[in-house]
Amino acid sequence: MGLEMDPLLHALSYFRRRKFQQCSDLCSQLLEKEPSDQAAWCLKVRALTEMVYVDEIDVDQEGIAEMMLDENAIAQVARPGTSLKVPGTSQGGGPSQAVRPVTQTGRPLTGFVRPSTQGGRPGTIEQAIKTPRTAHTARPMTSASGRYVRLGTASMLTNPDGPFINVSKLNLNSYAEKPKLAKALFEYIFHHENDVKNALDLAAYATQHAQFKDWWWKVQIGKCYYRLGLYREAETQFKSALRQQDMVDTILYLAKVYSRLDQPLTALNVFKQGLDRFPGEVSLICGIARIHEEMNNISAAAECYKDVLKQDNTHVEAIACIGSNHFYSDQPEIALRFYRRLLQMGIYNCQLFNNLGLCCFYAQQYDMILTSFERALSLAESEEEAADVWYNLGHVAVGIGDINLAYQCFKLTLANNNDHSEAYNNLAVLEMQKGRVEQARVFLQTASLIAPHMYEPHFNFAVLSEKVGDLQRSYMAAQKSQEIFQEHVDTQQLINQLKQHFARL
Amino acid sequence: MSLFKAREWWSTAVGNNEEFDQGCLCVANVDNSSNDQDKIIVGSYMGFLRIYNPHPIKPGDSMQPEDLLLEVQLRDPILQVEVGKFVSGTELLHLAVLHCKKLCVYAVSGSLGNIEHGNQFQLKRMYEHTLQRTAYNMTYGPFGGIKGRDLICIQSVDGMLMLFEQESYSFGRFLPGFLLPGPLTYSSRTDSFITISSCRQVESYKYEVLAFAKDAETQETEQQKLGSGKRLVVDWVLNIGEQALDICVISVNQLISSVFVLGERNFFCLKDNGQIRFIKKLDCSPSCFLPYAVSGTVVNTLIGNHNSILHIYQDVCLKWAAQLPHIPVAVRVGKLLNLRGMIVTLSDSGHLQCSYLGTDPSLFQAPKVEARDINYEEYDAEMNKLQKIIREARKIKDIVPKSEKNEDLSLGVTILSGLDSVSQATDSEVTAEVVPSTSIKIRVESRQLILIKLSVHVQSPLALTQDKFIFELEPYAPKTLLLSAFLKGNCPPADLEGSALASYSTPTGVPKVVQCKFRLPLQLVCFPAQPSKTASQKLTIDTNKLPISLVTLFPDFADQTEEDQLNALGFQLLAGSRVTLLASKTSQRYRIQSDYLEDLWLITKELTLRLEEHFRKQNCKDFACSFSGPIPLQEYFEIIDHHFELRLNAAKYEQLLSERAIQFRAIERRLLARFKDKTPAPLQHLDTLLEGTYRQVIALADAAEENQTNMFQAFTKLKSATQLVILLISLWQKLSADQVAILEAAFLPLTQDAQELGWEESVDAAVSHLLKTCLSKSSKDHALTLSNQLCIPKDTNRLKKHITVLYDRLAKGGHMSLNTDVDSQQTMIPQGGCATILESDLEERSASQDSPAMFTNHRQLMKQKTKSGLPQYELQEAEKP
Repeated sequence: MGLEMDPLLHALSYFRRRKFQQCSDLCSQLLEKEPSDQAAWCLKVRALTEMVYVDEIDVDQEGIAEMMLDENAIAQVARPGTSLKVPGTSQGGGPSQAVRPVTQTGRPLTGFVRPSTQGGRPGTIEQAIKTPRTAHTARPMTSASGRYVRLGTASMLTNPDGPFINVSKLNLNSYAEKPKLAKALFEYIFHHENDVKNALDLAAYATQHAQFKDWWWKVQIGKCYYRLGLYREAETQFKSALRQQDMVDTILYLAKVYSRLDQPLTALNVFKQGLDRFPGEVSLICGIARIHEEMNNISAAAECYKDVLKQDNTHVEAIACIGSNHFYSDQPEIALRFYRRLLQMGIYNCQLFNNLGLCCFYAQQYDMILTSFERALSLAESEEEAADVWYNLGHVAVGIGDINLAYQCFKLTLANNNDHSEAYNNLAVLEMQKGRVEQARVFLQTASLIAPHMYEPHFNFAVLSEKVGDLQRSYMAAQKSQEIFQEHVDTQQLINQLKQHFARL
Repeated sequence: MSLFKAREWWSTAVGNNEEFDQGCLCVANVDNSSNDQDKIIVGSYMGFLRIYNPHPIKPGDSMQPEDLLLEVQLRDPILQVEVGKFVSGTELLHLAVLHCKKLCVYAVSGSLGNIEHGNQFQLKRMYEHTLQRTAYNMTYGPFGGIKGRDLICIQSVDGMLMLFEQESYSFGRFLPGFLLPGPLTYSSRTDSFITISSCRQVESYKYEVLAFAKDAETQETEQQKLGSGKRLVVDWVLNIGEQALDICVISVNQLISSVFVLGERNFFCLKDNGQIRFIKKLDCSPSCFLPYAVSGTVVNTLIGNHNSILHIYQDVCLKWAAQLPHIPVAVRVGKLLNLRGMIVTLSDSGHLQCSYLGTDPSLFQAPKVEARDINYEEYDAEMNKLQKIIREARKIKDIVPKSEKNEDLSLGVTILSGLDSVSQATDSEVTAEVVPSTSIKIRVESRQLILIKLSVHVQSPLALTQDKFIFELEPYAPKTLLLSAFLKGNCPPADLEGSALASYSTPTGVPKVVQCKFRLPLQLVCFPAQPSKTASQKLTIDTNKLPISLVTLFPDFADQTEEDQLNALGFQLLAGSRVTLLASKTSQRYRIQSDYLEDLWLITKELTLRLEEHFRKQNCKDFACSFSGPIPLQEYFEIIDHHFELRLNAAKYEQLLSERAIQFRAIERRLLARFKDKTPAPLQHLDTLLEGTYRQVIALADAAEENQTNMFQAFTKLKSATQLVILLISLWQKLSADQVAILEAAFLPLTQDAQELGWEESVDAAVSHLLKTCLSKSSKDHALTLSNQLCIPKDTNRLKKHITVLYDRLAKGGHMSLNTDVDSQQTMIPQGGCATILESDLEERSASQDSPAMFTNHRQLMKQKTKSGLPQYELQEAEKP
């Protein structure tokens, strides 16, 4: 069947329907016949770019080298509430660390995994290198060895005869004079080849050629600068672009620069100005919410997420974050409703059922707990996920008083994920109850080694040592616990008690 | 993600394996019927034109045959179908069909039959234009403000706008700066054509400007071969920075009209003059859109995306989201069967659906996990059984199952007698001219077809020519592997033992391991030499049997032709010193002597082994060696000190290295700051400093590496000496095998000798634990504090003291019992294991928020403990029965 269609027409149609492979194949055929066909060349470049395109706003991988050789921070010792680097400077009065667990850097856990939530900012390179890591959390040592390279070379596999365009042989200046080709070529070099330096050259020529009147090129130069770590230069480019034309993306990029420069308040201002221009833009409100969340201002973040939902009530991130916020502020019933909404919307994964199970447990809907966890287990894709489910099951078992079951659940957690520090901690508590002090001590030490940011193992260790009469060690552990979590009342009481003891001696 | 799904009212599959795209769907009252009902017109890339008039009896019905009004196959692919007033002299609606090289306008008319399925529809061609250029898309409208007529404008793939004044061709214009065609529309309020160019700009061209640029075009009237070369002047331009999928103009009322542009990532709404009214950033790649005015003032937009969801926005606010069964390439709204606002969507494979919005939840039915009836009795029985197994496992703490008699896999290792005639040694660091090698034969046989991973291990400085094999084994077809062992490092080994380990999975998926140990011959590391009379280190081993000739004991070293009662034998260790073995002629004693204590070990061990074997062959049960002492502890301590000194050196080097590295980074950082500076400043010899620091770092690293090699040799010597001391102690005190095992476990930790956890501190911990528990004599021994964290000690005095105490206790007849020792072993292992495992991945887990739960609870548990000890004891008692 099939009537003959013009191949370029067909390729255009494929491109519109996002069938990029077919589009690129058709263009290749055209280029074989007519190697200088600009239209086919341009279309193929665009198709190849779209195949690997990732929105640059969402890409945020901060390598250790960037963090350590960061010359851009304004203040090394920032005032509370003005920096993303100083954790625990809570302004909005969210739940304390005892209720809501924290990440390594001391920020509360969020309800939604984003690229930027993955890592913290260690203080020195020694600390960065020593930061515990395993295969599934290993962060790239430098950005060049990390995700960018993989993004860039992924397409090489599909082209067995080598890359489509040999960027190093291009005369970038001559391409820059043809704006219609240059834009496509730039995106290809930037996204597909991941060759930021050449992309920057091309953009610099092109913006010159456009007499600095094209805001698009300025944004692209800013993107390149951002990748190269020249944040101040990127900032000027984005600002200049914004003066020419207000665009949502430019605002997002500018705010991203500011949060990388550790100026969250300026970023918030940028977002707010953006909202004046584009009222109700979800990505801007969401950006505000994320910054509030990173600054421990949980209640403000929750407000922003609610605003997001007013604009777009299918926003998964907002629903998940509000849900987790309710969960941690002791309203599991409401959290349950949010998670149920996510389930109704068609999200079907291990994490969701895990959360549902926990919410059911705390909302005392006992009939649903086990079925939820059963589903979560059957959906677990990796051992880490399964470990989390077992861990929570162990928690439920502790809650209903079945110590044996709890013990076995925590053991299973460790069998699935040997680095699960919380499970070690809880096992230690169970061992302590059974009176096996030595075993408990070993578990607690392991837990504190694996997760230096948790205060619980230290506190438990202090209590344990105090019980067996080793006051010196108890005091040391209690101090460590206090270092991590200052407001913990039990630790303070314990330290006071110990101090009284020492004074009496 | 959407809560609701679009409720299906009517749907059908159009054609079979046909392709559809954006322009292929049109909804209009094409046959001008009096009841003002819209028909669905679908054209395909295969050239089929179909017109549907759905009238399902109830929502969700499938297609009735009479719903299809017309089906024609045209000869060319259909790019676009539009309905408008295309024929002069009438205001009736006609159908324009765009092919690649042709534009046809048809009239669709129906003639009623007697019954419903007797209705007939015909397609009558009114006129057609043949195009010189390949068309891309078209738009229509009352160009130039003509009343009651629609003119057509076709955009070709190479950028020419061709305008048709109904039956006649009026003119063609090339768009300036054209590369690839974009969407095109006509705005009647401003009388201009709006398109998105390859420069990612929205461009608007006035119709008049297009028309007046006509002057250059005189000779071409009918033939639209060439447009005029005159450059068009753009009315306005807006740079949106991305390519667009579609464009549409909506006039809400006479005063306001908006241009809607669906970009690849954003959705734009522009004013008439090209200013942005709003932008909406889209989360997912859109596939099609349709803005439409409702209630006079508000414009709603339907946006379909590649997640098969139809979003309905009012400006930037999401009003509704509905799940569609397919990815729409085109969406239209029409009045079907007197229902206004029916949403018609078409997928690229030809799934046509009419749907309406409803609160029918797109409830996701999670698949059932496992539906089986619960038999409580069976479950209880199984549970009890499993509990019992778990309890057993916890009691013996050794979960290795009993090995079955009939193993699936048999592994045998034989050492070929004698050395290889041609040495297989490669890359050996030994300075001797010939490094001997010996062949090892490994025989593997299995009863099933399995994939085996075989690894052979000998202790460094010994090495193998090949140590890993992966192969598939046929059932009952034994396979023999041949490899050679030789001395690689430049020091005598501490151990001649080696092991072969085969791991495989049974067909049922159970991973299994078979291990086989072997001992390499002594010849591999030493060769016969002249005995030497003088030596600083001497050991005497007593036996309770008559002395045996050394020739019979060491036939491979002694020359047979020499006198029978040879009583001195010399061994030259490869990369070591000379060892002499003397057998007393009269008494039952053997003496081993050498210049170094550690070199005695290999020969001593070999001697005791050979003696035992010799007497076992003669069925002599009560043979025993003994050693009268004293144990050469002083020399042993020297070896320990040497090793420890090297460790301290290593620590020093490490610290220096880290200091230099910090310095290096500091300089780098300053340099970087200099280079980043806009106004270049002089480097002020920072580069020289950098170079110098770099050299220092390299030199330090070299020194550290050399130290590491020395440390390895020292550790090997230490191991030899340790084994010798243990052997001597056991001979001296006649210790049982169990006790020897305890000593070995204490003195030879399985861990690697590393900087963080070295031999000294682990042995110190183990020895002091032995002293504290099984060798304790009085209660005050418990005061021996065992430091919690194992770290490198300041000096070895403590260790020496502990070893001496241990030696004294053993000398006084201390007995080590096994049952307490189990605990000591256990506490050791986790402490050692902790040093290397470091990880935290809370963030990764953040999506599942598991941790919160425990912490709260956890604290409650802890509170109980701090307040009173009572609940704890209650629990314990409750568990006991």
